[in-house]
Amino acid sequence: MTGLLIQLSTSLAAILAAFWLARHLQLGGDLRIRGEAEARALADNAICGFEAIDLAIDRAGIGALLRDAEGRVLLLRRHGAHFASRLLDSHAGIRLDRNFLTLATNDRHFGEVTLDLGPQAQVWAASLRHLSGHGDQA
Amino acid sequence: MKPMDPVPYAVPFFMALIVIEMYWARARRPEAYEPRDTLSSLAMGLGSTVAGALTGGAMVTLAFWLYQYRIATLGWAWWTWAACFVIDDFGYYWAHRGGHRIRWMWASHVNHHSSQHYNLSTALRQTWTGVVALNFMFRLPIVLLGFHPLMLFACGGVNLIYQFWIHTEAVKRLPAPFEWLFNTPSHHRVHHATNPRYLDRNYAGVFMLWDRMFGSFEPEVDEEQIHYGIVKQLGTFDLLWTSFHEWIGIARDVWAAPWGSKFGYVWRAPGWSHDGSRDTSDMIRARWQERQG
Repeated sequence: MTGLLIQLSTSLAAILAAFWLARHLQLGGDLRIRGEAEARALADNAICGFEAIDLAIDRAGIGALLRDAEGRVLLLRRHGAHFASRLLDSHAGIRLDRNFLTLATNDRHFGEVTLDLGPQAQVWAASLRHLSGHGDQA
Repeated sequence: MKPMDPVPYAVPFFMALIVIEMYWARARRPEAYEPRDTLSSLAMGLGSTVAGALTGGAMVTLAFWLYQYRIATLGWAWWTWAACFVIDDFGYYWAHRGGHRIRWMWASHVNHHSSQHYNLSTALRQTWTGVVALNFMFRLPIVLLGFHPLMLFACGGVNLIYQFWIHTEAVKRLPAPFEWLFNTPSHHRVHHATNPRYLDRNYAGVFMLWDRMFGSFEPEVDEEQIHYGIVKQLGTFDLLWTSFHEWIGIARDVWAAPWGSKFGYVWRAPGWSHDGSRDTSDMIRARWQERQG
């Protein structure tokens, strides 16, 4: 038992040291969406065959909203050194504050994200009011 | 009798190699590591060690109980070790394949795939619920052939150690004969990819032979950028959610499903749904192939 506790304590110390080193070396970078082509590619990676016909990218590039021909709306947001996404299927949890659109999905672990969409924020906020489903996210 | 587990002796080398890879990442690809992802992966590894300590005794007891009913006694000769290692790797292949094709088993194995990164710390991102997922059913019966349980556990440990170093983007390709016979970083990158072409491919532990024999081999295509993780990326570093999200998903689906479909959410492929509203990896690949023309 004592041996196991020593092993676990040593492992925990090593884990924290590795975390510190990764931060110290500034690993992970500062990922941003650099344009429409990248946003479209990220959407296709998230959902195979998702072809955006309309999109809005956060001014700092930390997220984006994309809509396809079927009316599906995909939220992309930065997650560490990558992007993660969810399909929006409800207007609940969507708030507009001038140029800022805050979006929450029904996956609370995914969290909410506030995108600076500039003048497009109001247009997207209006269009998202049509979302009414309450089912599971893709 | 306590099995000889070689893994704890390898852990210092694991950590040293992770540090070396971090410096490689700083020089070549800083985005290959992310501190919170690394913390999450290593904490998963530590949790897995605790889970192993809690359940290991039961596994050893079960193995020795099964060993009573062996059809032969193969002893400790060098060739017995070699045969045990190969047969255990064959068992690993099927356990791993089951881990991707049966949702109950995927609920445990998904933990290992839930990082969007592919580096040496990802190798230590191990499940806490392997026993619940019944992974051992594919490997413990090997003792019925006459291999001693302690030999089987030692071979399993060596197999696990082998699979550590293949979790890296720092090694591109190895000499062709090695790539043909063994699992390598290239083959295992394919396994961790979410690209439709690569979904549910390359299940091998050590010997690539099994994938070549059973039609699950897919070579890495240099021109195609690999995206790692799972089809529905978690989007969180929450350790408990990472560990248990698929189990919770199964419980929710079984609760909500019509009576005739409940069991399907347990034993069918991940992504299966009774109303066809979700995608399995086969459906995603078919859609992708259709788009390729």
